[in-house]
Amino acid sequence: MKRFLIVFVFCTIFIVSNLSAAELTFDDPAGDDKGPGTYIYPTDPVYKKGSFDITKLEIKEKGEDVEFKLTLNAKIEDPWNSKSWPQGGNGFSIQMAFIFIDTDHKEGSGEEDGLPGLNIKFEKESFWERCVIISPQSKARLNDEIKQKAEKFKDKIVIPKKTFAQGRSLIAVVSKKDLGGFSDKWGFQVAMQSNEGYPDKKDFLTRKVNEYEGPHRFGGGSDYDCDPHVIDILVPPAKGEKGEVDKQYEILKKYKCDPDPSKWEIVRIPMVYR
Amino acid sequence: MKKIVLLLLLFTPSMLFGDTANFELSGKIYNKWLYRNNDSQGVLTLGNPFWPKEGISGDNGAGSEFELNIKGRVSQYVLATVRLESRFGSIWQDWWENGDIKYDRPNTSGESLGMNHAEYIKLRGYNIRLSPPIPTITAISVGSSDFSMFNSYTIGKSRYIDRDNGKGIFVEGAFGNRDLEYILGIIALPKLYVGPGWSTGIGDPILTNPFYSNDYAYAAKLKYNVSDRLNITGIVSFINDLEADLLDPDAIGARYPDCKDELGNPIEGCEKDHAVSLDYRYRNLNATLETQYDITDRISVNLLLGYSLSAINEKYVTNGVRESQGMFPMIYSKDPVSDAVEKLLVEVVPFEDINYQLKLELFNFGENWTATFGTRREADELITDGFLEGGQLPTLNLANEFIDFDEPFYESCIGWRGVTLLNNLNTGDFTFSLEYTLLTYNTNKQNRDIDNTYPNFTYSEGYTDVDFYDYSNTLDRGRDPRSVYKRNQDRLTNIFVFNSKYIPSFLSRLSLMLKAKYIMDKDGRKITTSDDDYDGKILTLRLSSEYQFTDEFKAGIGYQYDNWDEKNRSSDPSETIYYDYITVKHKPFLSLSYVFGGASIKYYLEYINKNQNRGEQTPHENIFKVFRSKATMEVVW
Repeated sequence: MKRFLIVFVFCTIFIVSNLSAAELTFDDPAGDDKGPGTYIYPTDPVYKKGSFDITKLEIKEKGEDVEFKLTLNAKIEDPWNSKSWPQGGNGFSIQMAFIFIDTDHKEGSGEEDGLPGLNIKFEKESFWERCVIISPQSKARLNDEIKQKAEKFKDKIVIPKKTFAQGRSLIAVVSKKDLGGFSDKWGFQVAMQSNEGYPDKKDFLTRKVNEYEGPHRFGGGSDYDCDPHVIDILVPPAKGEKGEVDKQYEILKKYKCDPDPSKWEIVRIPMVYR
Repeated sequence: MKKIVLLLLLFTPSMLFGDTANFELSGKIYNKWLYRNNDSQGVLTLGNPFWPKEGISGDNGAGSEFELNIKGRVSQYVLATVRLESRFGSIWQDWWENGDIKYDRPNTSGESLGMNHAEYIKLRGYNIRLSPPIPTITAISVGSSDFSMFNSYTIGKSRYIDRDNGKGIFVEGAFGNRDLEYILGIIALPKLYVGPGWSTGIGDPILTNPFYSNDYAYAAKLKYNVSDRLNITGIVSFINDLEADLLDPDAIGARYPDCKDELGNPIEGCEKDHAVSLDYRYRNLNATLETQYDITDRISVNLLLGYSLSAINEKYVTNGVRESQGMFPMIYSKDPVSDAVEKLLVEVVPFEDINYQLKLELFNFGENWTATFGTRREADELITDGFLEGGQLPTLNLANEFIDFDEPFYESCIGWRGVTLLNNLNTGDFTFSLEYTLLTYNTNKQNRDIDNTYPNFTYSEGYTDVDFYDYSNTLDRGRDPRSVYKRNQDRLTNIFVFNSKYIPSFLSRLSLMLKAKYIMDKDGRKITTSDDDYDGKILTLRLSSEYQFTDEFKAGIGYQYDNWDEKNRSSDPSETIYYDYITVKHKPFLSLSYVFGGASIKYYLEYINKNQNRGEQTPHENIFKVFRSKATMEVVW
């Protein structure tokens, strides 16, 4: 009986200590995992329908941590056995998501450009101060990528304490300290991508979108790096309404490509505020 | 004329030289150092079990390999990929071994060790992917494939080192918005392992001419995405290993080449016509139907049903169960054998606010289930930790070779029937998982014919020691992970596993891991007596810790304790006297990792002190005091 009580108290402490305080929910319509409306999944069978289709982002304050729960329109699988990767993995293989956060909502304050490989910019009033990376890759690999490809964003990129998959959700637990606190007034945006273990030399573990899809390349974009390499994003008001589909396509279509990179126009995406 | 010459000069170069900008190149260099306190030489712990003198396996050596991948977009419809890779097996000391000759023993000629030590670049993979404007067809793929589009029960994904060795032609397509997807494939049957005796005829003493160039497997997959939450996938595969009909006088090795029987009498209907008819040597039909239903975001159900049919043609297959001491990758039966698999996995996240997941798996693998082309390793079909940590696969054709000491072993789950309950909790700084598995066996049977029909892989007794595994079992390492059939078995197993990880908030660079595993394994063997009853209590405890000192450098230490108390573990050859075993292992280990600038460096060192007390046998104790290490350095660009 004594043992039972100890176990009970132990479990209660864990559960109570993790009850959430502030909570935010952003919904996204299903079936809009086509970027600007034209993107096609890679052809290898591991990229199952709905694997990059955001349906919900839930953000919960839990004690000293903040939990980001990103739900997709397919069960999360680990076809490449991430635990066996040279530096170990987090139990899923093909997904990768970047959660950009605007903590001050001041025009021109923060970073304008998305991380390398995404080919996105943020609207002027929505530059970002923090980016939480939900990746199957180990902290060591992510840190190495940051050093090589995103050194200038180093202090603004947040690698979660814990990242794992559960059913259709990817869950990242981030220390509030790393995040610089937490407020439900902040703006959020998700850039849904696919984890590429052998990325292009400038890309932050992102999978390319080309003109034509390949076994491990998205199709429906451009062979130049002028198109947004994001498969799904949140669109205000992020209530999962049908109109958000067209709005997303409209936002992500606004890129211009040209053999001369100086003539490229990169898309600007908004943040969503509650 | 002048204009024509000018035009020719202008256009010829561009026609002769391809556009190199269209060549996407990627490379990789992999180095490995393997060292142990023994005197074997080589860079691979466990090499080829059939050809142990292949010259690359051994515990001391440093070796390297180079890989070059080339990808070319021929046009908007055609993608071509190639992988070139050097042969792994040479060690750094093998100065100028050029592979000309392989002598009986190494000498100073620089030509003594053969091609395994020549580091030649081999064409490992090639694929042309065509996207023709044909309705429903998304692509036609010709060449290398790892077969990952099918599943472990039919045609399994090739192991990583074999990822480009398989060749075939595949047609992929879809109807609607990928609502109905299909893949059709014809695959050249690997002559080295997919068939009776791990071959499609090579090395079978019955055959004079192992005719393998017409051997193919055929597969079809149809996936119906009924809705965002429900999909149904059907896969069918058929293996067809053919030989020249030995009753055809035109065939090499024909039984009656002169169309006369043993007594010299003409055989009716026998006639040479310069055409050779074919007969089957082995056939294997497998089919699965899998339903994935995500009832809500927090509840999902997966149901898999499978059927297998395996048929050996005795005319062309030597009975390896009889002739090779039970070393044979399938049931040897005059009549075709068939069986089924049923597996149900329910995953539930019951609470909105707590990251707790419950998984319940029910499974039933028929005792005669045969998947000769199934997945051989690097996959896991059951959620249980099982006996061995690697994974459970529904085939006897497992590949626990070409691995190093730090790589996992895989075990066959043929005949397994049971239930697993797995709890995962992620809360605060802790991650826990708790597993309970009750396992009984469809292979429980008395007086099973393991002399002629069911392969037992010679060694069926005792908990498998994967730390000191050897193919010929000179180390008394216990059961072969493929050994699912025994003459007398009445077995029941309980498995308990607890895993935890702690990353303290106040020191998030530190992680502490604990694993505890306890297996209660009982086998009544002959049900007519209790004198031979096996009672195994297998305890494993592992505590480890890692610390990320800098963004680049991580170090870990740990300790594993094993205590295996096995009553009546093994017998003398007469199976009348059984010996009790107590095995105690202490394994401290150290790991270092450094990732910087695209280079990944890893080092692992372990010491194993093993004492296997073997009861009344001589020698009474089997002692191991082994230091061994592995380092790797890899760069990809």
